[in-house]
Amino acid sequence: MYVRLFSAIWLLFCAWLAVLAWGFQAPFAYDPVGPRAYPLLLLALMGAGSLWLLIKPGVLTQQLHVPSALRATLCVLALLAYALLFEPLGFILSTALVGFALGVLFTGRPMPCAISGVLMGLLLYGLFDYLLDVPLPLGLFEAFVES
Amino acid sequence: METLNFLLQGFDVATRPINLLVAVFGAFVGTVVGLLPGLGPINGVAILLPLAFALGLPPETALILLAAVYLGCEYGGRISAILLNVPGDAAAIMTTLDGYPLARQGKAGIALSLSAVSSFVGSMIATCGVVLFAPLLAKWAVAFGPAEYFVLMVFAIACLGGMVGDKPVKTLMAALIGLALATVGVDSTTGVYRFTFDSVSLSDGIQFVIVVIGFFSVSEVLMMLESTHSGQKAMKASGRLLFNFKEFCFSFWTMVRSSLAGFVIGVLPGAGATIASAMTYMSEKRMAGSSGKFGDGDLRGLAAPESANNASACGSLIPMLTLGVPGSGTTAVMIGALTLYNITPGPLLFEQQPDVVWGLIASLFIGNVILLVMNIPLVGLFARMLSVPNWILVPAITIVSVVGVYAVHSTTFDLVLMIGLGVFGYILRKLDFPLSALILGFVLGELMEDNLRRALSISAGDLNILWSSPISLGLWALTVLMLALPGLRWLRARRKVLPANA
Repeated sequence: MYVRLFSAIWLLFCAWLAVLAWGFQAPFAYDPVGPRAYPLLLLALMGAGSLWLLIKPGVLTQQLHVPSALRATLCVLALLAYALLFEPLGFILSTALVGFALGVLFTGRPMPCAISGVLMGLLLYGLFDYLLDVPLPLGLFEAFVES
Repeated sequence: METLNFLLQGFDVATRPINLLVAVFGAFVGTVVGLLPGLGPINGVAILLPLAFALGLPPETALILLAAVYLGCEYGGRISAILLNVPGDAAAIMTTLDGYPLARQGKAGIALSLSAVSSFVGSMIATCGVVLFAPLLAKWAVAFGPAEYFVLMVFAIACLGGMVGDKPVKTLMAALIGLALATVGVDSTTGVYRFTFDSVSLSDGIQFVIVVIGFFSVSEVLMMLESTHSGQKAMKASGRLLFNFKEFCFSFWTMVRSSLAGFVIGVLPGAGATIASAMTYMSEKRMAGSSGKFGDGDLRGLAAPESANNASACGSLIPMLTLGVPGSGTTAVMIGALTLYNITPGPLLFEQQPDVVWGLIASLFIGNVILLVMNIPLVGLFARMLSVPNWILVPAITIVSVVGVYAVHSTTFDLVLMIGLGVFGYILRKLDFPLSALILGFVLGELMEDNLRRALSISAGDLNILWSSPISLGLWALTVLMLALPGLRWLRARRKVLPANA
């Protein structure tokens, strides 16, 4: 059932992309193929595959489980929040927050999760920024650091 | 003789202090990643790749690090398989069948040490195979033109569909999705923007690191939400800690046979360690007949998959180094790593970058010894890692992944894209699409299009060039065979069922 749904959506998506790809035209032709033939070929093959799965979806062992789908959604939201707050709040704060949120989501108790979140924020910042030379955003702490 | 000289040169590279240090580090991290259920070699390599790049490691060092992680994962997967009955990575599924019963009989120590030696034998035999065959294949592959390359890649993708077995259509679909993702960005020959949706961040194409981390780390985190088997107790490795000579002799020929088979399977593009371990286990079981105790703790049932999966991991480096076509999902990631360094893997690699190639091969020998030494005495330490709770592990994986992606371009857009791809990957996994096929497609995507267009430029648009040389004809024939395999298997299965019904 889910495979059918996915294939149908994917088929429509392929069709839409094919419409887009049809417009790929090079102002000057350097090679006989051009920029649109290959994507169109792929989309056609994908479309054929989707059709096949639409007709013969096969047996799916996995079942949709509402509580776990809900938790997955929460997890995605936490990750999105992390991504969007990464620069404004800075690495240390946003990491502490996401460390706590994910910890709780993964059945940790609140107190240890909070501690591990803060520790991870501080330690990993030290590790990456000072030892490994990966620049990370400071965010709110920028004001405290003299440049 | 020439090969020997190059190998010595390779050892020269591999024994530089930084490379040795990196090999030890990689072996350790690899074993840990391998033994943690859910995290496999692709995740390990994917997480370390951006770090290696951000650290500014030279290409040979970065490659040695990734190869050590890859090998280490194949060693590590067996620990949780034996002690927990949970395979640490997909290739260790077969190890659980005989490893866990052995542990329950109080022979965990024997099982762990014997499987470490099996892994060692497998990797060693396969690495010797790499030394012998890789230069030969590279010499032969120089004759490949763009048309042959294109057909070779078609063959690699067909191999995936034919070997992965029960869901060929989904596998091919996954590979196509990967190929299509690779077309995003500016077209290199004509400068036309394709599928960028007017976004500046996409004009450069989707960065490899983002794809790998999104599809493997983020989707893995989501998958882990469901499996909360934290309450499980690991078996204690008690009793005799080392196998004796008799037990070694008993399983020696199994190791040799499985290593050779694993090596051959590894060399085939697309077919990886999981298939190798399953096939050798089955054939050893058949060979032993009724004399074996397969399934109740037969040492041969432990030795076969362990030597095979390590052998195939090493074997899959051959197509990667000589043809630039990955032999497994993990080597696909390693090819991506090489392209980050502007090195295009392929037959010319052996001439242009002998340091990289032979340094890597020599480091496989060294890495193996390190892993064997690390794995027998330190197994208790590794076993303790199994008790790290998910609420620490998952945030740590997430944060390291995010930092890895952020290190590439330092934009929030990349992070959001990573999550988007991760969610998409999660949905694909729930629907049983194999993601390793997708990553293979993504890596091959640009090469495939370039070679197709180059070939057709040579022939001025005449499609006949794609099947004009004997090499490409042979490859097409193999491709058709591979695509027909699932159909044949289906027919045979049906013929078996029919008489039963009649």
